[in-house]
Amino acid sequence: MPPRPSNPAQEPSLILVGTDYRCSPIEVREKVAYHGTESEDLLIHLLARPGIEEAFLLSTCNRTEVYIRPRDEDEAYKAAVELTFLRRVPEMEKPGRLYVKRNGEAARHLLGVASGLESMVLGEPEILGQIKQSAALAETVGASGPTVRRLLRSAGIAGARSRQETAISAGAVSLGYAVVELSRNIFSGLENCRVLILGAGEIARSVARPLVERGACEIKVANRSAERAKKFQEEFPQAVLIPFEERLSAVREAEVVVASTGAEEPILTRKQLKEAMKARPTSPLLVVDLGVPRNVEPAAGKIENLFLHTVDSMELLIQRNLRKRKEEVPRVQEIIEEELTQFRIWYRNLEAEPVVAQIQKQAEKIRQQEIAAVLDRFPADTHPDLVRLTRSLVRKILHHPSTQIRGSRGSRGQTDPSGSHDSSRLHLVRELFRLDDEDNG
Amino acid sequence: MTILLDVANILLPLFYLGAAISYGFVFFASHPVANRVTMPALRATVVLHLAMLVALAVHHGQFPAATVSQALSIVAFAVAVVYVFVEWHGRERSTGFWMVSLVFFFQLLASLFSRPNPPDREIFHDPFFGLHVSLALLGYAAFVVAAGYAFLFLQLYRDLKTGRFSMFYGKLPPLEVLERMMIGALSVGFITLTGAVISGAVWAERLYEGAWMHDPKILVTFATWALYAVALTLRRLRRWKGRQTALASLAGLGAILFSLMAVNFFFTDFHGFL
Repeated sequence: MPPRPSNPAQEPSLILVGTDYRCSPIEVREKVAYHGTESEDLLIHLLARPGIEEAFLLSTCNRTEVYIRPRDEDEAYKAAVELTFLRRVPEMEKPGRLYVKRNGEAARHLLGVASGLESMVLGEPEILGQIKQSAALAETVGASGPTVRRLLRSAGIAGARSRQETAISAGAVSLGYAVVELSRNIFSGLENCRVLILGAGEIARSVARPLVERGACEIKVANRSAERAKKFQEEFPQAVLIPFEERLSAVREAEVVVASTGAEEPILTRKQLKEAMKARPTSPLLVVDLGVPRNVEPAAGKIENLFLHTVDSMELLIQRNLRKRKEEVPRVQEIIEEELTQFRIWYRNLEAEPVVAQIQKQAEKIRQQEIAAVLDRFPADTHPDLVRLTRSLVRKILHHPSTQIRGSRGSRGQTDPSGSHDSSRLHLVRELFRLDDEDNG
Repeated sequence: MTILLDVANILLPLFYLGAAISYGFVFFASHPVANRVTMPALRATVVLHLAMLVALAVHHGQFPAATVSQALSIVAFAVAVVYVFVEWHGRERSTGFWMVSLVFFFQLLASLFSRPNPPDREIFHDPFFGLHVSLALLGYAAFVVAAGYAFLFLQLYRDLKTGRFSMFYGKLPPLEVLERMMIGALSVGFITLTGAVISGAVWAERLYEGAWMHDPKILVTFATWALYAVALTLRRLRRWKGRQTALASLAGLGAILFSLMAVNFFFTDFHGFL
């Protein structure tokens, strides 16, 4: 894929080459995933190439992306593809395996990644931490310069704002967190919830994990097979194992009951649960039945203050939350565009700054020449005032042109973010002030 | 002064409506601007409301509960103050739309039924009047707050029970918290209404010597008091759970509105002030 030759809009000069879960299956992604020293080595190798000025690597289980600030676009692109991907998986050359984005598009992509728009689970929050870790590594290795550093800062702001100002990360989208979410909608705090888990298989463990993480005050596990229960306890040492036959007395004391056994018949009947509810007259009970066939008699759902949920209702909840997250995408995109505009303004200022400095230097040179020519004609005690006056004149005359050349720094979204007129404007300024002559002469 | 009071009478429901709409943006759209302006807007409206009640008291030289309109306005004010406190204390504004909508509803009724010249009866200057009416209105305000939480409790209860997850799910405090707030408001309301009933009975006996007991207003108030007494007793005995108590709370609000509006307008002269 040949690189685009020019960057007419004076966009931030960037190249992104990457692959993610949409382009490559896990078997391929795991081969191009970079961990610890591998990431360091790659960044060092990339920086060793003369066409690359700055580099940033983002490698997670769902994506491997390398962002380059090129000196030479062709060479930088080739090096990024070769060193990051082809060296490990030559088949990455196949069409559709890699995506390449440039300049503003590359920046927009990273901001989207940080905001969770590009994640497999829309809005997942871990990616922001992974970007921060990768940024720290690039900083340590010396791979990030001003452009990449500022881009990462914009990505961090976009990611944080998206999660604070929108509901892109709200609502549980996995089974375990859906149980946590339901508990939080019933009980005043998970730390007051005693949890009883019936079964000790993979589903039981996936549900127990977020409950433990979010601070459930007690976890009891009842399973027919003691061996499996012990395995469960190895993973969750805080869990208390109880004999399966004692499950009914445990239900009376629990706030949350999760059932996920392979039993063919219900292990909790309506009658048993009604009896249990009598022992807890006013406090509610959440029962999540994840068994297929069902572990809890469906009629138990009619008991007052008992909230019975099955795999189906949990799936409904997850789908609802995903739908809600999707509804937030346009608002997140607005945030991304706002931060991208800020990044572009910063970048344009970066381009304009040498021009402003040159004009100021030229003006100062003229001022010094002119004042040197006339200074002797004035009394010595007026010299400091003359110098101050001429400096002030020059500063005031150049103030407005300098501001215009820099663009309206810091005024969010007020300047043309495309920067389409920037190159011609800078060219005109150079001509007006004869800066190129100055350079040559 | 009269013109100012008339203007305030028109502006108050509009301001409460504005605050309710702003809370609606917070509840339905989590709008960042609405998030910032809701509380200051509501606080400013509550201050205006307080100023209007004080001006009414000064202007007419009596406690501003001489008419149904004034009583409804005090209930609206008390509910707004309770909500401002709850939001400030609990940093919880998800119930704001519903509570401020109730405030708007009560203030709208108050403004619609307001009369330029409230009656000036001798009893309005009796200190017992102030005590009796203050207790009754505080009780009513607490029951309105309880009904607000009861309504929200029932919505969330239904969502969690049926697994259909409506717009209420995920936006409200947990069921246990809603229940606790509802029971708390019911308890405060019951204590103050009991105080109002006792003080009213003592006062009326002194003034009317038994002729007051068959008045429709008194009978409806006793019935309302009894409804809340039964609900709280059954709850205390753990016979009733949150859902039944919430339903009773909503029924109680219906009884209060009936007592304040229909009974006062159509069935009683004796208790015409509220």
